[in-house]
Amino acid sequence: MKNKTSQDINKLAKEYNNELLKGIKLLHTLIHDFINHKLDKSKLDGVIQAEKKCDRIKEQYIRVLFQDKRALPFLVEDRYKIITLVDEGLGRVEFFSRFLCVYPFEFYDEISKEFSRICEICSELMEELIETLELMETDFDAAYEKTFEIEATRREARKIKFDLLEILYKKTDNPIKVYLTSKLVTYLYDIISHVEDIADYLRGLIIKYPTR
Amino acid sequence: MFTSIIIIIFVLISIFIAFAIGANDETFSTVHGSRTLMMREILILTTILAILGAFFLGKGVSETVGKDLLNIEVTDAIALTILISTAIWLIISSLLGIPISTTHSTIGSIMGVGILIAGFGGVNWLKILEMSFWWLLSPIIGYIVSYLVYKLIHKTIISKLNGFQDFERTERIFSYILLGVICLTAFSRAGNDCSNAVGIVVGVGINLNFILIIAGISFALGIIVLGRTVIKSVGKITELVPSSAFASQVPTAIILFAGTFLGIPLSGSHMLVASLLGLAKARRAPVKKGLWKVILIWLLTFPVAALLSLLLYVPIDIFI
Repeated sequence: MKNKTSQDINKLAKEYNNELLKGIKLLHTLIHDFINHKLDKSKLDGVIQAEKKCDRIKEQYIRVLFQDKRALPFLVEDRYKIITLVDEGLGRVEFFSRFLCVYPFEFYDEISKEFSRICEICSELMEELIETLELMETDFDAAYEKTFEIEATRREARKIKFDLLEILYKKTDNPIKVYLTSKLVTYLYDIISHVEDIADYLRGLIIKYPTR
Repeated sequence: MFTSIIIIIFVLISIFIAFAIGANDETFSTVHGSRTLMMREILILTTILAILGAFFLGKGVSETVGKDLLNIEVTDAIALTILISTAIWLIISSLLGIPISTTHSTIGSIMGVGILIAGFGGVNWLKILEMSFWWLLSPIIGYIVSYLVYKLIHKTIISKLNGFQDFERTERIFSYILLGVICLTAFSRAGNDCSNAVGIVVGVGINLNFILIIAGISFALGIIVLGRTVIKSVGKITELVPSSAFASQVPTAIILFAGTFLGIPLSGSHMLVASLLGLAKARRAPVKKGLWKVILIWLLTFPVAALLSLLLYVPIDIFI
């Protein structure tokens, strides 16, 4: 039978993941609006609010995590490290939203397809990451496999990023627009790259556990 | 008046001996190393167990120290010299955070006092040689048993675990078993050690229960003041989780118990340190640097304890 604290931890983790997913999905929709020149920038506040809500849940999660005197310290440490890493990723999502909010130009139509794809990858990877995090609790083997899937998808994103940058750096119309658009691509890729870092960490963690 | 002073001095010596033995007690080291309990909880638990163990199990006063190992009659002065020199060496090694074998220290003292009084003929070397065989074997047994037990646990239980929750549940069960065994060991060890410590004041007219409780408190104080260093140091020899701590501590406790039952003088401290090394080998985990200091102190135990008893015997004999 599970004790109350471990139930609390699981409940909070689920709450955190739901909120994170909500924020990511909203960002995904808004990026599509942005590409189609229909973005209502005030809606980006929804992503920032989701991040804030996640932050509050994270604080609660950490409090409960360290409150459980009977919890095994190495598990506490590992769970703490995971939540802080995911939170850092969410921080990047928030940063991207804020950047998008102040981005002053219309997006280039000729790269909208690639940008849309990289945005989809970001959303997909976040979902996969959440799935992996849930699997970490119950199934190391499946989680281990998932980390490789994340890595493979990240490779595709890297290729798209450089394709996008190649196109952008050849543009001569407006250097500031080129610079800021390249930043937009880079910041979106940073989120993807961080998801892969988390997946790498999780893989290392699984190997560290003597079950493998 | 003079008799009362003598009794008080003997009681103080008993307290000192109990303190010294407690100072070098590493029983809870794997519990601390696997972080099943924090140091504060260990100290509270150990105090309770020491007092209870001393009170309930300490009444079976131990045999005369050195009876089988000396070819001379064991007088009060000899017994006292052996106990005090053992206690001093225990305290020195505890200050260094190194667990030593109380038995080895006692035998070193016996050799010293035996040689001083009757030359080399004063010591039963054949018995010492017989015991040496087991001293050498203790760490080897600890190493091998711990290695095999961990491999077995890993193959049958740990390798089948999947996910944090599974791991958490299993490790928690191991931590409960480990804690139960350790508490039992600590309880019986406190009884046995306090019994040894109060042996010198039995029959002098002091209430035995009272003196045993005092010895239990001193034993606990030894752990609180100096023993925590030893507990920390042994617990850090290799990385521990409850299942691996179980693999190193529980078989050691069982073998030690069987050894005591069969009259084989195995060293608990040596077995534990060696079993932690066996465990590290089985888990392919790193081992703390500086283990040579532990080996050096183990090797120095005989000569230093012997030297201490050589120096202490004459003043104690005059005093008594």
